Amino acid sequence: MTDAEANRADRPSPQDDPELRTAQEERLKAVWKEPTGWRYFSAVNNDIVGKWYTLGAFFFFAFAGVLALLMRTQLMFPDNDFLSMELYNQAFTMHGTMMMFLFAVPVFEAVSIMLLPELLGNRDLPFPRLSAFGFWCFIIGGVFVTGSIFFGAAPTGGWFMYPPLSSEPQQMGIGADIWLLGLSFIEIASIAAAVELIVGVLKSRPPGMRLNLMPLYCWYVLVVAGMILFAFPPLIAGDLLLEMERAFDWPFFDPERGGDPILWQHLFWIFGHPEVYIVFLPSIAIVATIVPTFARVPMVGHSWVVLSAVGTAFISFGLWVHHMFTTGLPNISLAFFSAASEAVAIPTGVQIFAFIATLLVGRVTYSVPMLYATGALAIFVAGGLTGVMVAMVPFDFQAHDSYFVVAHLHYTLIGGVLFPLLGGIIYWYPFMTDKLLSDRLGKWAFWLMFGGFNIAFLPMHLTGALGMPRRVWTYAEGLGWDELNMISTLGAYFIGAGFAVFAWDVLRPKGKQPYAPRNVWNAGTMEFSQLVPAEHWGARCVPVITTRYPLWQQEGFLKDLDEGRFYLNDAEEGKRETMVTSVLDADPMQVLRVPGPSYKPMGAAVFVGLLFILGTFGLYAAAVICGAVGGVVILWWLWTGTSPIPEKEMKHAGRGVHLPLYRAGSDSVGWWAMFITMIGDLTAFFGLVFAFFFFWTIHPDFPPPGADIPEFWLACLGIVLAGLAWLTVWRGQARHHSGSVRAARFGLPAASLLAAGAVAAFIESARRGGLVPTSHAFDATCWIIVLWLGLHFAAGVVMLLYCLAGSFTGKMTPRYDADFANVLLYWHFMLVTACITFALLGLFPLLTGDGP
Amino acid sequence: MTKIDERARDAELSHTPPGEEPPKRLLEEGSVWIMIAAPCIWALHFLLSYWAAAVWCAKLADRYDPILPVRAGVAVLTLVALAVVAWLARYAVRRYQGRLLIQEDLTEHSEAERTRFLGHATLLLCALSAAAIIFDSMPILVFDSCY
Repeated sequence: MTDAEANRADRPSPQDDPELRTAQEERLKAVWKEPTGWRYFSAVNNDIVGKWYTLGAFFFFAFAGVLALLMRTQLMFPDNDFLSMELYNQAFTMHGTMMMFLFAVPVFEAVSIMLLPELLGNRDLPFPRLSAFGFWCFIIGGVFVTGSIFFGAAPTGGWFMYPPLSSEPQQMGIGADIWLLGLSFIEIASIAAAVELIVGVLKSRPPGMRLNLMPLYCWYVLVVAGMILFAFPPLIAGDLLLEMERAFDWPFFDPERGGDPILWQHLFWIFGHPEVYIVFLPSIAIVATIVPTFARVPMVGHSWVVLSAVGTAFISFGLWVHHMFTTGLPNISLAFFSAASEAVAIPTGVQIFAFIATLLVGRVTYSVPMLYATGALAIFVAGGLTGVMVAMVPFDFQAHDSYFVVAHLHYTLIGGVLFPLLGGIIYWYPFMTDKLLSDRLGKWAFWLMFGGFNIAFLPMHLTGALGMPRRVWTYAEGLGWDELNMISTLGAYFIGAGFAVFAWDVLRPKGKQPYAPRNVWNAGTMEFSQLVPAEHWGARCVPVITTRYPLWQQEGFLKDLDEGRFYLNDAEEGKRETMVTSVLDADPMQVLRVPGPSYKPMGAAVFVGLLFILGTFGLYAAAVICGAVGGVVILWWLWTGTSPIPEKEMKHAGRGVHLPLYRAGSDSVGWWAMFITMIGDLTAFFGLVFAFFFFWTIHPDFPPPGADIPEFWLACLGIVLAGLAWLTVWRGQARHHSGSVRAARFGLPAASLLAAGAVAAFIESARRGGLVPTSHAFDATCWIIVLWLGLHFAAGVVMLLYCLAGSFTGKMTPRYDADFANVLLYWHFMLVTACITFALLGLFPLLTGDGP
Repeated sequence: MTKIDERARDAELSHTPPGEEPPKRLLEEGSVWIMIAAPCIWALHFLLSYWAAAVWCAKLADRYDPILPVRAGVAVLTLVALAVVAWLARYAVRRYQGRLLIQEDLTEHSEAERTRFLGHATLLLCALSAAAIIFDSMPILVFDSCY
């Protein structure tokens, strides 16, 4: 008898009573029940939302795949007229756009939302309704962008939408607006999911899961969500600038009025290159989960894999200019990016060697998920090597915009993203649905796709080397490309057939098929501790973790789990609860009440979506009304669902541990979410600041000689008022926290007025200075910064008034003041934004000699 | 199998009162920031080198002018960055007991082990960052003008 068993036997526990356990289970089931009938769509539980999300992402994948088959059919013969040029342009633009924005990133979020709570042995992520909101935004935006192709209105500018092609309404119709606004909306949803996942990994690990015991999948989720936070905002800033140019003629990208199209390329690729790793790392995370399971040993060099995830994430932000090697930037600038592009191969290689080492050390059992994982590595390594080739500037000059690049990027993305993901679907299918997929169909699908892939894309290296450019609608006979294109097209059909087999296997009815056994792959990580058929409660109780692979290494783990011998084994109050722990050592900190099913996230997504959709068609009044309604729905959702005052201070979480039900400030998950969101927000603002300095570098003088500049003293007034607003919030929060309700009731309206005054001063400063946004890039940049500040201050005022209403209705008191603490954090960021605004509008013209 | 029995586990868990973590200095033991410090140095070095060259080439130098100040500046910056990374590595070894393990096995369930894990990961990231910094300084050896 081991220590653990002896221990359990010595100590009688109430959990020894089977009747008590059954009663607990009944209560938990009732609380976590999936809504039935129409109300099913109000579900917010991570397993349901995750499933919708995954299905949605794969739907867009299949759609984009069909577009690829259409393109390949067009390119099968020279001078083909299967697709018109216009439709071909729409097809390649939508193929790239959908694969990146509607499949690769969302599917990471989908799988992570689905897996994470179970992988962490917790009930749910801290913000289930935020996940649901992200899903609805994704599906609404996705259908909007995708649907445009049926009206012949899809964008045609390529997935990177370069101006000036995309910035002139005469060149490109509404498609570009659909792309800019539709995708901005989806990007916001992605950031929402990233916030959810970061807080999830940092704050909802099970007790005892210290950082050194955290599964590799969680490390990757943390790293990738962090990358999203820094990569997506510059694109949102770019989208804003480009849409302002298209809709209101603000000349950010028009060289005749001081703009520059290269600015877009910078903003796009500061997003676009990390994006490649944002989609690649989660799939590698799947490989890192599958490999130890089938090698039957823990990952060799666990921390080396952590190193490579973190290292790759950082270095991937130093690669963006390698997409711009042919734009005429100084060669020495290109060299820095070329060097970083070579350096990123080091961490990427480290993790692959760790996987191979694990396979060598272990006794590998043959399985279909493993087949996909090894196939993925083979393809990815080939793509990585051509990546090192195109990272060399002279080689890239030759290969740029040719089919060589098409071959390279598909080797990395299909090897690095798609195959691991499909392997992951097979691996976790029993986890998602309690049934197994067919081995035979899985192998058929694999060999069709693997073979088809190499038949399609290997020849493209040659086609590119022979000079065939990307994105051409058709080509003349006899250039040496005819046979190669024919072969590629045949290969593409095989990939299509393989995916059809796979999709059939996933979707075919499995009513009569028996349930898969529990932990069917004999995995070591906690998601497979789930019962078959699964319950919606996430985990029967929240376990204590002392090892990296609890199912392999913690004796009696499953029995203890099933008998509810760990934390939160009951739902006495009939509320959904999850455990919040500390960042480093996962010490229990709080029992967090999480909200249940609701239509509010869906409603908020619909109205916020209409803001973007109506804006696309220039219906600005209707768009603003819908946006306002969306804002009201969000406030209603927050008011009724977040930080409720609990009926008691502490709760017994099990095993003699009593935890608070309410926490405020940096101890609360809401504070972390605000902090993370605002980091992303500030990054977007830095995108605008980058635009300002970019213009400064390309112009001999910026502001240009004789330009109108913002009125200095009004800008000074603006920063003083903004500073006072911040000070009032800061001091008001402190005094309110120490018991003065009056501090809130006077401070909040006073801060609101000061903030409004600050915005008015900055606007007047630009207006009286004579800045006309359509006249020059300088004027437009100043105005966009003021606009940004104004909108953020307006949101900040809404938050202040929300707190004020809370104070008057008793929702917010000095003891229960999480909302106020979070709003204060927001205002810290607003102070930074205001200071930068003042520095650019007020001080910078002084430095360049244009001051008062 | 597990080294620590359930009782020890419980004792460990109740060791720190829930949520009562003492305030910590930024790089003090028990801070996760130490891990990303070295890559941040790389990022700073990278951006400053690129900006220095880009601004110099845009504002001050003609196409084939020698750019000695940029090269000298980046060289100095590289040495400073490497020195800071070396200091971080030393910190990881001293304060976090970081060791350069090949067959890493820092799986014990204790605060000390978690610290060692962070130290070890930091050390690895220092090595990677140093390599990347050296990579990114190579252009100044090759280019004596902007183009």
